[in-house]
Amino acid sequence: MNDLLIQKKVIQNTTDDNLAIRVEHVSKKYELGMLASGTLYHTIWNTLDRLRGRNKRSAQEDNEFWALKDINFEIKRGEVIGIIGRNGAGKSTLLKVLSRITEPSSGRITINGRIASLLEVGTGFHPELSGRENIFLNGSILGMTRQEIKSKFDEIVDFSGVEKFLDTPVKRYSSGMYVRLAFAVAAHLEPEILIIDEVLSVGDAEFQKKCIGKMEGVAKSGRTVLFVSHNMGAVKTLTSKSILLSEGKLIDYDKTNIIINKYLTSFAGNQSSMFSPLPKNRKGSQAASFKDIFITNGANERIHSIISGIKVEIHFIINNNTKSTLEQCSIGFGLFSLENNMLFALKNDVIGKYFDVRPGENEFVVTLEKWPTSGGVLKYNVILNKGLETLDWIQECGTIDVDTGDFYGTGKVPAGNSQIVLVEQKWH
Amino acid sequence: MSQRLIIEPNKSILNLNLKEVWNYRELLWTLTYRDLRIKYAQTAIGFTWAFINPVITILILSFVFGTVAKVGTGNSEIPHLLYTTAGMCGWTYFSSLLSQAGNSIIGAQGMVKKIYFPRLIIPLSKALTAFIDLLVVLFCIALLMLYYQILPASSLIYLPFFLGVAVISGLAGGIWMSALTVRYRDFVQITPLLLRVGMYATPIAFPASAVPEKYQLLFYLNPMAGVVEGVRWSILGGDPPSSYIYVSFAIILLFLIFGVFYFNNVQRKMADIL
Repeated sequence: MNDLLIQKKVIQNTTDDNLAIRVEHVSKKYELGMLASGTLYHTIWNTLDRLRGRNKRSAQEDNEFWALKDINFEIKRGEVIGIIGRNGAGKSTLLKVLSRITEPSSGRITINGRIASLLEVGTGFHPELSGRENIFLNGSILGMTRQEIKSKFDEIVDFSGVEKFLDTPVKRYSSGMYVRLAFAVAAHLEPEILIIDEVLSVGDAEFQKKCIGKMEGVAKSGRTVLFVSHNMGAVKTLTSKSILLSEGKLIDYDKTNIIINKYLTSFAGNQSSMFSPLPKNRKGSQAASFKDIFITNGANERIHSIISGIKVEIHFIINNNTKSTLEQCSIGFGLFSLENNMLFALKNDVIGKYFDVRPGENEFVVTLEKWPTSGGVLKYNVILNKGLETLDWIQECGTIDVDTGDFYGTGKVPAGNSQIVLVEQKWH
Repeated sequence: MSQRLIIEPNKSILNLNLKEVWNYRELLWTLTYRDLRIKYAQTAIGFTWAFINPVITILILSFVFGTVAKVGTGNSEIPHLLYTTAGMCGWTYFSSLLSQAGNSIIGAQGMVKKIYFPRLIIPLSKALTAFIDLLVVLFCIALLMLYYQILPASSLIYLPFFLGVAVISGLAGGIWMSALTVRYRDFVQITPLLLRVGMYATPIAFPASAVPEKYQLLFYLNPMAGVVEGVRWSILGGDPPSSYIYVSFAIILLFLIFGVFYFNNVQRKMADIL
């Protein structure tokens, strides 16, 4: 036993010098029912039931949910690591466990160096207090000492650009000013390890640019950064390696390019479906009908979500239910936001091209050299026409998940949630 | 080399990590400052509110017990108003802290869910804020003694000790209530009820000796009875309090120790429960 301990210690000492984070067999379990109904009444009844020997164990196990399952990885000092995964994959839980907000159910994490997390900017801000007071309040909540805040105070105020309103209660601030001040405080933390979750999705475009610049600075200053975002463009520009999570499990840990590709081509069970037409949304003679619709990337691999700016091919599988070839057919594809605003339509007849649909199964493909929307969930309609006759028309045929990416190839990510369509532009 | 941190599921309930609470003391000051600022800065008459609440309570108690029910104080030289104020002195910290601590963690859930810090800081910051209420009552006592021309008793040297016990009992109650309220929201309702019952079950406006002998032990099972008697005795003198106060003190100490352990147990799941 003693030997084992010594041996373990030696191994740690040889590798730990350049190690920032080591995660070993970490799991996190949530008991859904128990926590939700934490009433005195339930506790008393459960205790009575246990005393009377009635076993409620099996019912409890049904309510267990593993947010993380046996996660293992190591991060070296100075590495900037992205964490990628769909909603519910366990990204936020992993960050919460790493930043000690919640305790792991099992496993062990070793962290070398001062750690700070930015799970949301403005934590602890109080609306009644002035900007100045909130800088001190928020700074000390984030783990800065009063002395540190004092020495960086001018820099923080400068970065936020709210110097005129320093002594105004922050409840009078515009939401933009509020976020700028909050981020300014957080950005001036100087921990050795920084955990960031989706903070870039706030503020106006101008300020986001400033934040990304600051993040790049942080990343280049030799600090270790863990970065979670749905913004694939930001992940790509800021990180060298990434971790892919799916349903609480670590799927892969590799160079960011490889991981992003894996993320796009992997299908998660909880993902919304690309082709899921409801019969009531379907109209037309059904002489020919859509059988499947899917997307591939430039390398002809099937993908389950898109990043802005990548090459996309949409495949339409159409069944001709008659025994003769249907000539002069056209396919229409209309893309909508969830609020039902039409973004753009693709239609082969407007570019003077028609298809013949032969009996049996047919495949038609449309290529988009650069996918032209920013991140979000979008829905689409499709229609199949023969001349003026509608053969198949499906409304709300399915959804397409898009992650924001580096559309312009400049490393600068198109900012702002209101901007959905991205357009190629040349300036002279 | 810089600090190393190991995160593991906390298997031992005995690991309290109190040293870490000390390391976060700056946050404690900041939160206390914030609470005080918010409590008094935004109101029209500001700090005056800190006086109105205890003064009204004391006047009502003194009127009901002293003027209407004519309960004696055991010493005819001491006016009932002063007697009640001195009694309030031992009770006010406990009651103020309990009513603030109950909801304190739910009120700070935005922070608890987003940032790590020892959660004990939250009820502790309320414990610091509650000192204001204690100071206000002490000030009222000083004013009344000047007005009635009464000198403090020689037992005044025991006052720091008994006030210390009053603070510890407030701390014990505050820590219990903040943890229990997170676990069971029922305590949002239970706490005010408990305080209302406690105010009459505690000898604030009447002497403990007025309670029949056969109920004395039961009476002192309420730990605040010993605290209030002790604080009043050290200010006004008279017969030293019954030896039953040691029962009270033992209960308070046990409450504090178990409270800290219970809090620690709940703290590990706090972010998940909220």
